[in-house]
Amino acid sequence: MEEILRMEHITKRFGDVYANRNINFDVQRGEVHTLLGENGAGKSTLMNVLIGLYQPTEGNIYLHGKPVKIESPAQAVKLGIGMVHQHFMLVEAMTVFQNIILGDKREKGVFINTDKARKDILAISEKYGLDIQLDALITDISVGEQQRVEILKALYRDAELLILDEPTAALTDIEVEGLFEVIDRLKSEGKSIIFISHKMREVLHVSDRITILRAGETVCTLPIQETNGPELANLMIGRELVPSQYEKVEAGGEKVLVLQHVDYNKTRKHNGLNDVSLTIAKGEILGIAGVDGNGQSQLAELVTGVVTPDSGDVDLKGSKVFSFDPLAFIKQSVAHIPEDRNLQGLVGNMSVCDNIVLKRTNSKEFSSAGGWRLNKRAMKSYADAMKEKYDIRCASIEQETRNLSGGNQQKVILARELEGDPDLIVAVHPTRGLDIGATRFVHDSLIESREKGCGVLLISADFDEVLEMSDRILVMFEGEIMGEYSGKTPPIEQISLAMAGNKGVEE
Amino acid sequence: MESLFTWNFASEIVLSTFRMATPLLLVALAELYSERAGLVNIGLDGIMSFGALAGFMVSYLTGNPFLGILAGALGGILVNMVYAFCTVSLCAEQTVYGMALNIFAPAISAFIYRVYFGVSSTLAQATLMKTIAIPVLKDIPLVGPLLFNQTPMVYFAYLMVPMTALFFNRTKAGLSYKAVGEYPKAAETLGINVVRQKYIACIICGMLAGIGGAYLTTCYVNTYSDGIVAGRGFIALSAVIFGHWTGSGVLMACLLFGFCDALQLKLQIISKDTPYQLFQMIPYVCTLVALAIMGAKKAGPKAKGKPYLREER
Repeated sequence: MEEILRMEHITKRFGDVYANRNINFDVQRGEVHTLLGENGAGKSTLMNVLIGLYQPTEGNIYLHGKPVKIESPAQAVKLGIGMVHQHFMLVEAMTVFQNIILGDKREKGVFINTDKARKDILAISEKYGLDIQLDALITDISVGEQQRVEILKALYRDAELLILDEPTAALTDIEVEGLFEVIDRLKSEGKSIIFISHKMREVLHVSDRITILRAGETVCTLPIQETNGPELANLMIGRELVPSQYEKVEAGGEKVLVLQHVDYNKTRKHNGLNDVSLTIAKGEILGIAGVDGNGQSQLAELVTGVVTPDSGDVDLKGSKVFSFDPLAFIKQSVAHIPEDRNLQGLVGNMSVCDNIVLKRTNSKEFSSAGGWRLNKRAMKSYADAMKEKYDIRCASIEQETRNLSGGNQQKVILARELEGDPDLIVAVHPTRGLDIGATRFVHDSLIESREKGCGVLLISADFDEVLEMSDRILVMFEGEIMGEYSGKTPPIEQISLAMAGNKGVEE
Repeated sequence: MESLFTWNFASEIVLSTFRMATPLLLVALAELYSERAGLVNIGLDGIMSFGALAGFMVSYLTGNPFLGILAGALGGILVNMVYAFCTVSLCAEQTVYGMALNIFAPAISAFIYRVYFGVSSTLAQATLMKTIAIPVLKDIPLVGPLLFNQTPMVYFAYLMVPMTALFFNRTKAGLSYKAVGEYPKAAETLGINVVRQKYIACIICGMLAGIGGAYLTTCYVNTYSDGIVAGRGFIALSAVIFGHWTGSGVLMACLLFGFCDALQLKLQIISKDTPYQLFQMIPYVCTLVALAIMGAKKAGPKAKGKPYLREER
């Protein structure tokens, strides 16, 4: 085998935080070498060092055995390194063709040699089975096609080594299959691939070798034949993974939330609620299962006071709700872990500290003079305590939340929402996009709140999550409740039928 | 008012529309080049006034208006480098530094003028640039004498429009240029030097806006006075939005604003009883209306107004 790349003792520091520490990594010709690790384990940082977007604090890079200093992405391209970023680097206002030739310097001349470039691109597209429409705008093509454009872009620049950063995150199952075929073609043509992922099934399917990163350091490198899923999972999160079965409870006590025949936008089946009735008692988790976009978002908005129902009654802690207003719900101790943490959950440009106290700036603890004067010192010491308690990994509590990894952002939201003993928690897709460790943390936190007597409404498109967490399960389809099922012994077949719109037999 | 629809009136309006639109067009193109690289520069008025002074001084001292234009271009670049350094290298807020230019540049221009010419009731006068008729084209009936007997700067400004369209749509450099304003990180990964491109944009912007200012004192009137720019920079700014960030669109917008300006001047002469301030409002009202209609749409380069930091996560 011929060595293409070797990275030795790579360290990258951001302020006081080590994103990478003493990492060793190499790639051979014609292999798929996977970088496996949790969110924030340092995978993307290492790759950004490789393509010259970041400069390593320490360490050396060798290409074909020769030491190189990669100072810019342009140089990386010249050296034959192509990266397909997790967030595609495509200019949306331009066509596929324009994106591929953008910045290409091999052809001399001022004007774009359209005919030749098109021929070259189509030849590559043919060779690797990368199906694209050259003249479509990026905004008009699917995510899968955008990814093919990214791969083509790299190949057009004669990339020998392709970096695929979380390439399956945004793809449908069929598109993932297509991607794997492309990867096989690339391998057989002698290209090398660095595959970055935390999805075990895909990693086992596609890799030749696997390097595991944890907390910015290399754990080990294993050939695929010598390992298996559970071992990789253990190495990745660094502790034994107990097949987690939370104890299911039956809570017959006081009702926290009662919905009776609630309608909202009911003609719009996928964005409305039709005759929804449900109850949540203290100390139980009610799970809402269903395919995304069957009224779940509206349900969450309704029980947090964002929208007002068209008809029907909502009782919160025994009294009927008249004014649907988020502040009124917050005052009634309703916590909300929203669907989109960047859009609804956090103010990205504000610090971790500010985000944590955001909901309670009016309380005596953090402000005086009726909220006109903030007690910065109290805010800081509180946020520091929360940082410890929720294990939020950030350089300091003054760091802006948009710079945190997804898992740490979610922890900031948990720290804000779960503190102060809420009576009702509305958690929508609380673990979406999180790795195993962070998911576990969120689940444990929700269970802990339940133990304290809090009612939890868990809405999730991840069926396994609903099964694992819920004491009772409701299925939603086109804005309606299809049935209620026990969480202790969930009848999986019936539930999945209900999720597909089949009322079937209720328990 | 009876002369409103005569041929003479119409031809005068057309002629002065083109003349009025020229400085707007130059400055609007300056802004177009700036925004295409993601830099919203609201300091056009400031750059123009410095260009106007530089143009006037050199034209006055040398007696050559072409050297005046050159001085205007250099002066504009010089002033805009302040903006470039602060917004590109220091990643400062673009609006703030644009506004800073608007305050700083006219003041320094006025200062230099007073120091050199002193305070007197008579204004110093420089040579105006002569018109050059284009052979053959000037003989076209009706439009020939109107459009093809102008100063070279008018031809230059209008020639810039197709050149701009060609540059952005047909050349590699133009494509890379646009990418910087749309998605600088993507451009960087493709080997485009984002910072250098932004500085180039600032040079082009300063140059064109400076020429636009110098045009006022070398081709339009032969004197310099404070406030000579009279908000043209802001009208040009809206012309870019109105013209949807394309060369031809900007041309149409500038002609419209130029027409309003020409019309209000004519109306002032015709209707002497009406307070002239009322007519003077026309171009500005037109700008407001145009912005209200077109500005609502979200368009333009995606990364405009945002600073670019390479190692940001």
